[in-house]
Amino acid sequence: MMHKFWICLGAATVALAACGPLNEGSTGAQVLELAATRIAGAPPVAASGLAVSQDEILSSPGKYMRVNISNINRWDTMARAGTNGPRVTWVDGSNMTLTLENGIIAATRGLPRDLIGANVSETWHAIRAGGGKARREHEFLTDLDSISTQLLQCSIAFKGPEVIERLQNTLNSVRFEEECQGEGLQFTNVYWVNDAGVILRSLQAVSPDAGYLQIDAF
Amino acid sequence: MRAPVCLAALVGICSSHLAFAQDAGVTYSLNGAPGLLEMPTAQSADAGALAATFSYADGLARTTFTFQITDRLSGSLRYSIVDLYGDPTSTIVDGVFERGFDLRYRFNDETTYLPAIAIGLRDFLTPGRFGSEYLVASKTIGEALTVSAGLGWGAMGTRDGFDNPLGGLDAALDTRPIFDESTPEGQLASSQWFHGDAALFGGVEYQINESWGIKAEYASIAYPQQAFAPAVDVETPYNLGVTYRPRDGVQVGLAYLYGTEVALSGTFSLNANNRPGMSGRETAPVPVKVTATNSRAAATWDRAVLPEPVLQSALRTLLEAEGITLSGLNLTDTTARVRYVNGRYRSQAQAMGRVARLMTQVLPAPIQTFTLIPEDRGMPLSATTIMRRDLEQLENQPQASQTMFDRAVFADARDSAPPAIAPSNWTWGLGSYFAIIPFNEGGSVRVDAGLTLRGIYTIRPNLVIAGALGQSVINAAKDDPIADSTPDVQNVRTDGGYYGDDGVPVLQTLTVNHYARPARNLYSRVSLGYLERMFGGVSGELLWKPVDSHLGIGAELNYAAQRNTDMLFGFDEYDYDTVTGHISAYYDLGNGYHTQLDVGRYLAGDWGATLSVDREFANGFRVGAYVTQTDLSYDDFGDGSYSKGVRIVIPQDFFTGAATRASYSNTFQTQLGDGGARLELDGRLYDVVRDAHVADLSDTWGRFWR
Repeated sequence: MMHKFWICLGAATVALAACGPLNEGSTGAQVLELAATRIAGAPPVAASGLAVSQDEILSSPGKYMRVNISNINRWDTMARAGTNGPRVTWVDGSNMTLTLENGIIAATRGLPRDLIGANVSETWHAIRAGGGKARREHEFLTDLDSISTQLLQCSIAFKGPEVIERLQNTLNSVRFEEECQGEGLQFTNVYWVNDAGVILRSLQAVSPDAGYLQIDAF
Repeated sequence: MRAPVCLAALVGICSSHLAFAQDAGVTYSLNGAPGLLEMPTAQSADAGALAATFSYADGLARTTFTFQITDRLSGSLRYSIVDLYGDPTSTIVDGVFERGFDLRYRFNDETTYLPAIAIGLRDFLTPGRFGSEYLVASKTIGEALTVSAGLGWGAMGTRDGFDNPLGGLDAALDTRPIFDESTPEGQLASSQWFHGDAALFGGVEYQINESWGIKAEYASIAYPQQAFAPAVDVETPYNLGVTYRPRDGVQVGLAYLYGTEVALSGTFSLNANNRPGMSGRETAPVPVKVTATNSRAAATWDRAVLPEPVLQSALRTLLEAEGITLSGLNLTDTTARVRYVNGRYRSQAQAMGRVARLMTQVLPAPIQTFTLIPEDRGMPLSATTIMRRDLEQLENQPQASQTMFDRAVFADARDSAPPAIAPSNWTWGLGSYFAIIPFNEGGSVRVDAGLTLRGIYTIRPNLVIAGALGQSVINAAKDDPIADSTPDVQNVRTDGGYYGDDGVPVLQTLTVNHYARPARNLYSRVSLGYLERMFGGVSGELLWKPVDSHLGIGAELNYAAQRNTDMLFGFDEYDYDTVTGHISAYYDLGNGYHTQLDVGRYLAGDWGATLSVDREFANGFRVGAYVTQTDLSYDDFGDGSYSKGVRIVIPQDFFTGAATRASYSNTFQTQLGDGGARLELDGRLYDVVRDAHVADLSDTWGRFWR
């Protein structure tokens, strides 16, 4: 009687019979791939990196930064890929890009839930002013390929001086924390800013699925 | 470094401490719908949930697909392999293949005091065996206990049944017509619904923790020992079971049924609204390259410095990295029209966004107007014109997606597309296939699996030779043809099981296909050769589909001859040929619903119409149903009475997040008959054209900037 069970099971796999470009049309392969995806979840993201030495990073101010994506346990060096007004887009070795406006994340591409676009200028002005209020508008791409907009009210507070260490260097900075809250979304960003008003390091939220990025600007 | 921060995702997720039962969602019954073990509950899955349930008990194996169409309405399609009592009932008919459809509607949401109440029809197209109707109420008590009780009719009214309480409304409801085994199944069994005795059923489900739950029920199905009824031994109406959910979307179950047998089950579910691939895992696009203000204002550009062939070559190289083939490029002093084949992105809007950004990298600054023309099978599908300054100004800004869509101009591409450049002319692929082929009557099926070698030779972009060779590896059908119970009707489908069952390589298809744009808003196709596994001939199609219209009208005319069952080159075995064709109307209803009506002549020479309705999610996930009625009598059609089925399409990127235009798809039919059969053609025009037109582009326009 068990053979009937397998025929029934097979009837289900017919559901996954595929069409597609040439050798991607293999039903068996698709079923196995699908099964693997359903069982194991998303494929792991391999760590990767631009081949840039620490010396190169330290000797080329403004050319590189490092980003740590804690949600997928990956860090990488990023290089400039483009500039659009006050915004600079950086790219890493895995072709993930990060667009910053004065060091604040305005967009990402290549993360599981990208920040498609944001206005962050008020946050920057509040940091420059030593603290204050800011409004943000964040847009995400939904599972249904539409845009979801989050309006956020943020409060930026000065938290005092802090010393940060990286690549065997010790740097003086002041720490700011930005608490943002909107309908269904809240996060706290942290910025370490030097005397020249440059954000040396930050911990910034991208989206619920992408989590936080630690960004070190050199 | 670990910062004292807390990312709260959706508030509902971050702060919830809901009851286990609510956290984990509904559990599925052995019947594959939300419920207890054999009995239903009034609970619903989340809208958009699609669940596949496999259950096995001795003499009763079921595979069920259940889709939650709306918050309250759900439907199921079930394949069963069941042992039946013979006539006399001391004999057993082993392993009969059955199909069934269910519908359920929940009237209300459960409140503090009011239970959820639902009505349901089980196997409502089959007047017998499993056919049942029910009313059921479910109430959650505390955090993890759910109690359900209901009233069943039909098969669910066979245990300790009593006079129909609805009998007072109409005396005809007191008696349920006797099921006649010889009645062709598949017709609406409305004469049976809520007729005859009714019986009570009920049960409880307790969710011990997030993973483990237990169920107990009093089942009102007695499985009486009658001819052609399911041969299930019943000693007690009480059933017990345990469910285990190790992760979202997976449920396994073990049950002890009717005091006689053990049942195993597994349910795998997903939700069309929740994409495991989230917003996608494809790599980032190249950013927009911003032009200087003074160069942007120039009237032209220096072709001596930037010759057009150099620009074309550079753009082609960049597009290839995106899986997009440059098919044509026209440049003027201030405009660029680019024609391309999107080979990677499910969303044509996303491909447009990528093409446009790459154009900013290559094209001189005075070229400020971009016209993007996606092409498929050599046909330019639409022309979307955007301004370069909008790309620069809107990149990464809030409202960029909607603003870009509002400013884009969508038009027909026939007269504005640059001539196509001939692409490389030969591709091939080796893959595998698996199919269950129903054939003839009596529920017989044939399992077939093997390898397919496919090849495409492109003579011109719109003139292609395509073929596929198949080699069966598992081939279960060696039986001689059984008696044809519908001799007056050509076996255009019911002999499908005999095709390619010799265990040698077969020619699945071999066609020459020509596509064209004969006029504005018009598309054409001509296919010649071995069109599908059972028929060869010539097929012509014309489609009227304006770019910005939700309506398309198509006409298809075919001359087809039935191939030999060896699936080689001959047509002499059946000596059957016919003219078939349809007028088709396609309409995007909006809000995720799409409909299609085909009216015409089918392969067996019958005349009629097919109505299809699909629930389409913007991420490409589709679940639809179709029904065909023709002038072929139900008797001539045989079991099933008329053609109907359910189809499911799931894009591959739904699961993986990786950019691809491939998808998983299948159509589930009930009994396969010869009426209402159409040629199974690849590349019908509407499916080729629609995703580059405004209705589909707008659905996925959020991906323009992705």
